[in-house]
Amino acid sequence: MGKKMVIILCFLMLFALSGCLGARQINDLEIVIGMGVDKDEDTGSILLTAQVVKEATAEKPSGSAGGGGGGDKAFWNVSSRGESIFDAIRQITHKTGNRLFISHNQAVIFGNVIAQEGLQEYIDFFLRAHEIRPTALILVAEDRASDVLDAKPETEKFPAMNIAKLVDTYGFTSHFYEVNMKDFASCFMSPTTAPLVPLVSIVQDEDCKDIYVSGMVAFKNGKMVGKLNHDEVRGLLWVLGKVESGVIIVPSPNERGKAVLEIVKAKSKVTPELKDGKIVMHIKIKEESSLSEQTTAENLATDKAFEKIQEATAEVIRQEVMAAFDKSRELNADIFGFGEMLHKKYSEEWKDLKDNWDEIYPTIDLIIDVESKIIKTDLLKKPVSPGKEE
Amino acid sequence: MSIEKGRISSQQLLFLISGFVQGSVLLIDFTVGITEQQTWMVLLAGLAIAVPVILSYAALAKRFPGMNLVQINDMVYGRFLGKAISIYYIFFFSMTLSFNIRDVGELYITFLMQDTPFIFLLVFFAATCAYAVTKGIEVLARVSHLFAVTGLFVTFSTFILLIDQMDFSNFLPLFELPFIRLFQGIHIVSIIPFGETVIFLMIMGSLNKTEHAVKNTFLGLLIGAVSLLVVAVRNTAVLGRTQTIWTSPSFQSIRLINIGTVLTRMDFLIGIAQTVLIFFKCSLFLYALAVALSQLFGLKSYLPLVLPLAGIEVIIAATVFQSPVDHAVITQNAGIIYSAPLIFVIPPLSLWIAKIRGLPKFETGEGK
Repeated sequence: MGKKMVIILCFLMLFALSGCLGARQINDLEIVIGMGVDKDEDTGSILLTAQVVKEATAEKPSGSAGGGGGGDKAFWNVSSRGESIFDAIRQITHKTGNRLFISHNQAVIFGNVIAQEGLQEYIDFFLRAHEIRPTALILVAEDRASDVLDAKPETEKFPAMNIAKLVDTYGFTSHFYEVNMKDFASCFMSPTTAPLVPLVSIVQDEDCKDIYVSGMVAFKNGKMVGKLNHDEVRGLLWVLGKVESGVIIVPSPNERGKAVLEIVKAKSKVTPELKDGKIVMHIKIKEESSLSEQTTAENLATDKAFEKIQEATAEVIRQEVMAAFDKSRELNADIFGFGEMLHKKYSEEWKDLKDNWDEIYPTIDLIIDVESKIIKTDLLKKPVSPGKEE
Repeated sequence: MSIEKGRISSQQLLFLISGFVQGSVLLIDFTVGITEQQTWMVLLAGLAIAVPVILSYAALAKRFPGMNLVQINDMVYGRFLGKAISIYYIFFFSMTLSFNIRDVGELYITFLMQDTPFIFLLVFFAATCAYAVTKGIEVLARVSHLFAVTGLFVTFSTFILLIDQMDFSNFLPLFELPFIRLFQGIHIVSIIPFGETVIFLMIMGSLNKTEHAVKNTFLGLLIGAVSLLVVAVRNTAVLGRTQTIWTSPSFQSIRLINIGTVLTRMDFLIGIAQTVLIFFKCSLFLYALAVALSQLFGLKSYLPLVLPLAGIEVIIAATVFQSPVDHAVITQNAGIIYSAPLIFVIPPLSLWIAKIRGLPKFETGEGK
């Protein structure tokens, strides 16, 4: 007995413990990189589109002829109908023969109809399923999600990857921002804050379709209520302190051209104040920019000109903030999360405010204080002009 | 005579306790649903309540050197009442152990190995614990450094990796929840991570020197509590309002780690830490259970009991609840009630009675 038995036992255990249970080989995986959720108008059921990577073609340089069925597309948009998201995902196996592998999913796109109807009944699965990461992006399509997933980009192989890249790099313009599943859930769960989700649209450019992010849509009570354009979103981001970079154009001091500034840094501080039942939000924005371009011969790199440009910049920022606020008043959707800010500071008074927040929100006053500074002029200290000062 | 021949140093006791307390890190999720953003203060309050009680365990162990809980009960309460109390303790050990074994199983089938049969995970986990326990308390004590440090490493590294996603305004408003919920939270916290250290009354008898027992118990508890606190703060700061909806907030916050799209999918970190720490906790529980039972029946060694007990525990774990929902409800409500007297009443009472009656009476210090 003893040693021999142990050795035999160990040998037998090799078979039991090899960990093959539930293993999935890479060639059996249907790797999903993007998903679209639409409504099937005829039946009223969900039309789910999954963008699956075709391993064989994905490896080849794009454009090489003779890729297996489906031309040179490296992806396959497979769709199915179902009563719920999970149902539809499982129905897809009728077409793929394999379970979808959703761990690498980059983005979930909801169709316009679904967004208007409300995301409450669709969002659950994307947070509950263990394969889907809470960092997956969430987007709304201007029309149908499946069309967005169909538009083949020029440089990227996969539409879903392309969309994820578009959203990831929002910092260059700060015209929208990245919202992932967890961020969305967090706003969604708040009784007052209106979640925002980037809106993707398709533009027909001659014979090819391009995808671009045309702004963001606001949700209220889970339903899409309206759209914010680029400037309005940036107005919101100024307040939230999420502006990373972007371009501000102001008229040059002599009104004969433009000064174009690049935002280098932006910070903000919002202090809610509740006085005699009146809500005032004190918003302090600090912005630093560099003079990146000028379209006039006048030398803008002077103290005097700087002062004027800074003032004008502050005015632009203020207008953007007000545009965002006006829009949110119009939609009566608290996109700034002012309600949460009040809740955090005045938790006692909040109990009364909470119930009629919809009436209170439009009456909020904003006091906006913008401090704008130009910190550099890049490579030129004088404009390229034939000389001859004023 | 004591049935455990092994001896542990009081420094090892420190690491045993800190590892043990960290082993409950997933269990603070029970509290999060109740206390939301105030979990961190509930943890501190629970610690404040538990510390004097737990120090009384150390004082008790110091007063009865070389004796375990069953022997102390016999001596303090007499043969019949003492035995009854010991049986109550054994029931508590066995229930808590099976719940913890189930926790591991649930952790695995929910997050790590969805297709593996539940019972398979439980059996292998319990078998590993049983193996560790048969090696004796000395071996567990020697590896305790490693386990406690693993837990701390994972806690602090994930905290640092998530710093950029933290929003500390999630802790506001500071005082919002009704007191009754805080009270329930404090009750849970003072029992589940901290109060369960009552099992160390089965282990402290093996201390080679008892002079630093109180100090090291306190330090161990403190290290464990800091680790739990960091986890609670991390989860609230990262997840905010959503922290109440996840099955495991800790897991979810770690899934959010995304540093330059390279450092992602760090789930394995918490998988490792949890497996190691709960293994440690379950081993200590199984050890305490086996020793207590064999002491009760006057066996010469606890070793023959280890494997059968592990089997019984697996069966309890697999059958007693039908779902994690059931599990959470029972633990949050019933579990903390029946274990409260064992943790808060009996040990301090024993200490008090021992003081009054001047126990232990004989100078030789060892049991009958």
